[in-house]
Amino acid sequence: MSEPGAKHKFAFYLGCIAPNRYPGVESASIKAMKKLGVELVPLKGASCCPAPGAFGSIDMNVFYAMAARNLVLAEEMKMDIALVCNGCYKSIWEVNHKLKHNKDLRDAVNEVLKEVDMEYKGTINVYHTAELLYNDKFIGVDKVRDSVTNPLTGARIAVHYGCHLVKPHKDREFEKEVMLNTEHPMWMEELVSALGATPVEYRNKMQCCGAGGGVRGYDIVHALDITNEKLINLQEEKVDALTDICPFCQLQFDRGQIEIQEKFGATYNLPVLHFAELLGLAQGMSPQDLGLDLHGISCESFLRKVL
Amino acid sequence: MAEKKKTTTTKKTVTKKPITKKAAPVKQDIKKQAPAAKPAAKPAATGSTTQQKPRVGVFICHCGTNIAGSMDLMAVQEYSKTIPGVAHVDNYQYMCSTPGQGKIEKAIKDHKLTGIVVAACTPRLHEPTFRTATKEGGLNPFRFEMANIRDQNSWVHMHDQVGSTEKAKDAVRIAVAKAALLQDLYPKSVPVEKAAMVVGAGVAGMQAALDLAAAGIKTYLIEADTSIGGRMSQLDKTFPTLDCSQCILTPKMVDVGRDTNIELYTYSEVNAVEGYIGNFDVTIRKKARGVLTPKEAEARGLVGGGCNGCGDCDAVCPVVKPNAFEMGMKPRKAIYINHPQVVPLIYTIDFDSCIKCGLCVTACGPEKRAIDLESKDEFVKVKVGTAILATGYELFPIEKKEEWGYKRFENVITGLEFERLICASGPTGGHLVRPSDGQTPKKVAFVLCAGSRDNTGSGKPYCSRFCCMYSLKHAHQIIEKIPGCTPYLFYMDIRSFGKMYEEFYYRIQDEGAKFIRGRVANILEDSKSKNLHVMTDDTLLDRPVDMEVDLVVLASAVQPSADTNRTRKLFGVSCSMDGWLLEAHPKLNPCGTTTAGVFLAGVCQGPKDIPDTVASAEGAASAASIPIHKGEVELEPYFATCIDEKCAGCGMCVNLCPYSALALVEKDGRTVMEVTEAKCKGCGTCGGFCPGGAIWMNHFTTPQIVAQIDAFLLGGEQ
Ligand SMILES: Cc1cc2nc3c(=O)[nH]c(=O)nc-3n(C[C@H](O)[C@H](O)[C@H](O)COP(=O)(O)OP(=O)(O)OC[C@H]3O[C@@H](n4cnc5c(N)ncnc54)[C@H](O)[C@@H]3O)c2cc1C
Ligand code: SF4
Ligand code: SF4
Repeated sequence: MSEPGAKHKFAFYLGCIAPNRYPGVESASIKAMKKLGVELVPLKGASCCPAPGAFGSIDMNVFYAMAARNLVLAEEMKMDIALVCNGCYKSIWEVNHKLKHNKDLRDAVNEVLKEVDMEYKGTINVYHTAELLYNDKFIGVDKVRDSVTNPLTGARIAVHYGCHLVKPHKDREFEKEVMLNTEHPMWMEELVSALGATPVEYRNKMQCCGAGGGVRGYDIVHALDITNEKLINLQEEKVDALTDICPFCQLQFDRGQIEIQEKFGATYNLPVLHFAELLGLAQGMSPQDLGLDLHGISCESFLRKVL
Repeated sequence: MAEKKKTTTTKKTVTKKPITKKAAPVKQDIKKQAPAAKPAAKPAATGSTTQQKPRVGVFICHCGTNIAGSMDLMAVQEYSKTIPGVAHVDNYQYMCSTPGQGKIEKAIKDHKLTGIVVAACTPRLHEPTFRTATKEGGLNPFRFEMANIRDQNSWVHMHDQVGSTEKAKDAVRIAVAKAALLQDLYPKSVPVEKAAMVVGAGVAGMQAALDLAAAGIKTYLIEADTSIGGRMSQLDKTFPTLDCSQCILTPKMVDVGRDTNIELYTYSEVNAVEGYIGNFDVTIRKKARGVLTPKEAEARGLVGGGCNGCGDCDAVCPVVKPNAFEMGMKPRKAIYINHPQVVPLIYTIDFDSCIKCGLCVTACGPEKRAIDLESKDEFVKVKVGTAILATGYELFPIEKKEEWGYKRFENVITGLEFERLICASGPTGGHLVRPSDGQTPKKVAFVLCAGSRDNTGSGKPYCSRFCCMYSLKHAHQIIEKIPGCTPYLFYMDIRSFGKMYEEFYYRIQDEGAKFIRGRVANILEDSKSKNLHVMTDDTLLDRPVDMEVDLVVLASAVQPSADTNRTRKLFGVSCSMDGWLLEAHPKLNPCGTTTAGVFLAGVCQGPKDIPDTVASAEGAASAASIPIHKGEVELEPYFATCIDEKCAGCGMCVNLCPYSALALVEKDGRTVMEVTEAKCKGCGTCGGFCPGGAIWMNHFTTPQIVAQIDAFLLGGEQ
């Protein structure tokens, strides 16, 4: 059934932004995780997660039912879900958590799912791939370090954690069991070090990228203002690249820089890479395989440093 | 002779056992010559009561509407009349009142009752009350049994009238089953050692020790640190009067050092505790200090030797470490004192960092010869009648609240660090400076409730109670000492509840301190200037705040001091979920604990400012002196008894007993178990275990418990 050496198998939920804007995230995740003993099996027939801000702010019933449908697809595969996006994590992890603990809600959602002959049972868990990488139970930092063939030595890399994976801290099990704190986490920096790069801290690291909660769609100038502040703080620390674990944050930092240039006239040219892309590079994947040429902001300066 | 009172059919009398050497002599209660009931060899249906037909009186309490409001008491009353063995049933608004108790007394006489059941609150609250009433009526007080129909019934089933009524009937029936089999028991008295122990010599422990000593009681004061005074000795001034902390504390420290009734053990801890109220055997561990006191020197034949506090050693010691008393902001040597005013003025070697170079030995010289680099821990055994725990507090490690950047940002400090920085004898001579550059700050933010009143799971849920007030004090000190510097207090609400505290709050407002109501969400550091941005929401003006300041002071939450948990376990004291030591009753017995003879003083029980700490210490000292002055204490007669005929001498129980109350002895050529009654707490571990059923638990006998179970399961029909 499983790939020789694959200790863990997950239903791989891709979401929307990764496959459409940053396809490298998909290929890098599948290939890099395989080297680490984790097989990601595509979750066929999945829909949008749905986006927590866009749907969650408007119609909760649709929000729950859509997320539940994605969960049921994985339940049918008898596999836990792994995903690559904080927004997807918020929707799918949180709906799973709520449905498991609230019978009334579960009954109501199953009423809707009946129309498509589905039933949510609550038999699986949901993980972010970053969480799988960090948690020794699945992979762990040491194994990540051992898998590196092209260490990113000399690169100064800052981390953007994003909001939805770590907050609200009260429900997040990963928080409590593995990393214990949300206000100034350092576990992503540990992963960055494992790739041979130098993690760099910067002011207000935990601030939002600016896009989340529907702000990007509703008030782009406001959203970019927040992003701009983060970029200023990053520039102060002279970082070579920013890494994230959420394609939506990545979009905001990457395309956002072009928009910021248009709207505010500020230029940063800061390469922005999903951690899966960084991991792929460190494991020897080529920039073309990773689709880095599809980024809004050129990764050239960074690649020159690490390749 | 151990005989059952009024018993005519005792099959075999058991000789009164000799007391084992370890236990204190157990005195018989002089008024009652008969000892506690002894079981017959076949204890089934044993007991003096069974000889006469049981006549149980049931008294049902309304507790105002506490009970009566949630169940049909008349139905319970009518039902009680039908329970076998019940001779009389009554009810009253408040059974614990004088008329309520009068009903019990009268009914015992009028109806010739043999046992009493009161269906009311809990034994913890009113067992003593009703035992007294039972005794006043002429019955042995242990003929009383309580049915809890309030805390475990009406209060939990407030909205289930039918269910709670049924449950109350069950409770009464079960209690009657036991009451019918209750036996006369007679408490024993043990003499109380005329000495006390106080653990922890902060202001609480010092005050308690001084009071006990003044009452003529020999007091052992045990302090873990090298000198006494606790946290208060680290403070600069004290609210609301602003008197200098050292000035009011030092005289007390000197008194403690001088008092002939106080035997002070610093750099020491409690190592083991055995025994019970009146007779605690405590082992004190004196940690290797490396320096002899003049007394210790004399004991070694070095007359005129020992440490005189000259500091010659300090001058030559090459090892430098941070001084914890100065919150690590000043260096000390491997041989050190906390500060110049220490009591006792004896140096200590920190053997974890000492390199044993011997320079100090030479510097100390051949006259004093105070330094012994080979000194080892010593153990001292003392006997005390009562003990007070006063182990105080430490700061919650506020770096765990990562959003405020303590230990990450140089200019974020704690309130205790502020105390040392503003104190004339502190590391900067009383100049408040920014740790990053030594500059005087112009704008200081105080973050109140830092880690307190925090339900996120990473802080403490409780209010630390003195941080509002000391932050006001700090604001005042800044305004007074640094012209042009403004303190900004970020608060949730200001808790200035004590005497003259609210007035102090107004005074600080008038002096120009600024108050912003909002919890600080985040603190950011400007990496160049090392200034800090305090981010919050001003909830009065309803707008976000991003304030740049030079220095941030976190009013960190407090938590029990590190060694509290180990120490409390030695004394058998419980703690609440957050680790503070648990009092016997939060309102009516705030200084006592559930372990008889052990009391609490000061912050170890929960955050208290100095006035409350001293008041609690005086309360604890007074409570701890009562048994000592009385000279003897009564022990509950719930001890285990061995039925020698049934005992196979296997000795399994001896190892099980958590109180070391059991031993195997030779008796009439056989090995049997013997109980040291004064040590037995009646926990029943042995009784439940004994494979031969040879252990009889007074007041919780097998027949009594079986009768209760039957009454519950079989509804009274046996
Ligand atoms: C920054 C700050 C400012 C303050 N300012 C004021 C003020 O202005 N006015 C005011 O009223 N209150 C103030 N307080 C509160 C005050 O510090 C306490 O009320 C007081 O110190 C409590 O005294 P204590 O003896 O109960 O505890 P502590 O002072 O903590 O003393 C406990 C003692 O027990 C010792 N100990 C601990 N464990 C053991 C053990 N297992 N065995 C032996 N010994 C042990 C410790 O070493 C210590 O000496 C302030 C507190 C802080 C943090
Ligand atoms: S022997 Fe130890 S305490 Fe004495 S001077 Fe040397 S290092 Fe200091
Ligand atoms: S005393 Fe004041 S600052 Fe301290 S926890 Fe209580 S309310 Fe907060």
